[in-house]
Amino acid sequence: MSAPSRIGEVMALDRLVHEPARLLILAVLANAKEVEFGFLEQVSGLSKGNLSSHMSKLEAGGLIEVKKSFRGKRPLTELRITTAGRKALADYRQRLAAVMQELPDTPATRKS
Amino acid sequence: MHDPMSSRLDELERLTRDYARYSRSAGGLASVLGGAFALLAYLAGGLLPLTPALRIVLVMLPLAWVLARQWLMRRYYQRYGRVEEQAPLSVRVTHRLCVVTVVGVAIWVTYAVTSQPRPLNAGDYGYLALVWLLAPVVWFWLRSPLDFIVGTFLFCQAAVTCAGFTYPVLGTSAAAANPPMALMTVMFPLVAVVFIVAGVVEHRHFLALRERMARLRDGATA
Repeated sequence: MSAPSRIGEVMALDRLVHEPARLLILAVLANAKEVEFGFLEQVSGLSKGNLSSHMSKLEAGGLIEVKKSFRGKRPLTELRITTAGRKALADYRQRLAAVMQELPDTPATRKS
Repeated sequence: MHDPMSSRLDELERLTRDYARYSRSAGGLASVLGGAFALLAYLAGGLLPLTPALRIVLVMLPLAWVLARQWLMRRYYQRYGRVEEQAPLSVRVTHRLCVVTVVGVAIWVTYAVTSQPRPLNAGDYGYLALVWLLAPVVWFWLRSPLDFIVGTFLFCQAAVTCAGFTYPVLGTSAAAANPPMALMTVMFPLVAVVFIVAGVVEHRHFLALRERMARLRDGATA
């Protein structure tokens, strides 16, 4: 692959998915039917505010659905990935794998 | 993709799937408890005289198990937040077939009981109530094959106990009087033993999973 087409591939990566925290949220949601906010907070190591902000962006992009309710007096947030979200994640991984494959060896990787 | 981010994502995906199993297909200590209850119900029901106290115990066992199971899942295995497992289509279809079978049996049993010439007594009503209660219990909570078999046995033993009977244990005079039933019900203690072993294995997996979660979290915050 030529350098310009590699750049094109990198530029074509979905930026909404590419951000590490959002990628992490999508990866978790893609492997379950429904996930409570607490679990995401636990495994991501992100703060509530940071996680909420990324969730809102993914929800606005139509990649996830967020359901807010109460369990007793405690607020409960449940998330699930949409079909569009699943597709976006699969496309992203495919493109990134292609880009990584085409990258030239660096001295570090050559050593190993 | 073999960079650290991809490795972390792969581990996170595996971990999510493993954790989600404890919402549906893995019972852990709940399976151990269910297996122990099934053995107790089978042996006590078949070997001990059916006193009022034993009847109460046998009727309460399935209800106690379902409650304990839900408590363990929510408060112990999924204490970090509920993650519902994504069951494959074949599992979902099997589960629905189980529910349909239970409803079918409940309709047939109701017809058989109510078409008797004698008036229904309290035991008959208790029997029918437990048979019908099994359908929603299977729909909401008994979603793996082992859960279904053990739960169904516990509910059936409770139901027949209400009506004044118990399932016969092989080698007893009751079994000699009804060999087909004794042979059929012998599968329940066998499944109960499998259930206990599976529960222990699942619980050990959970302990390892908890370690993995801690490592992943530490890696994320480092």
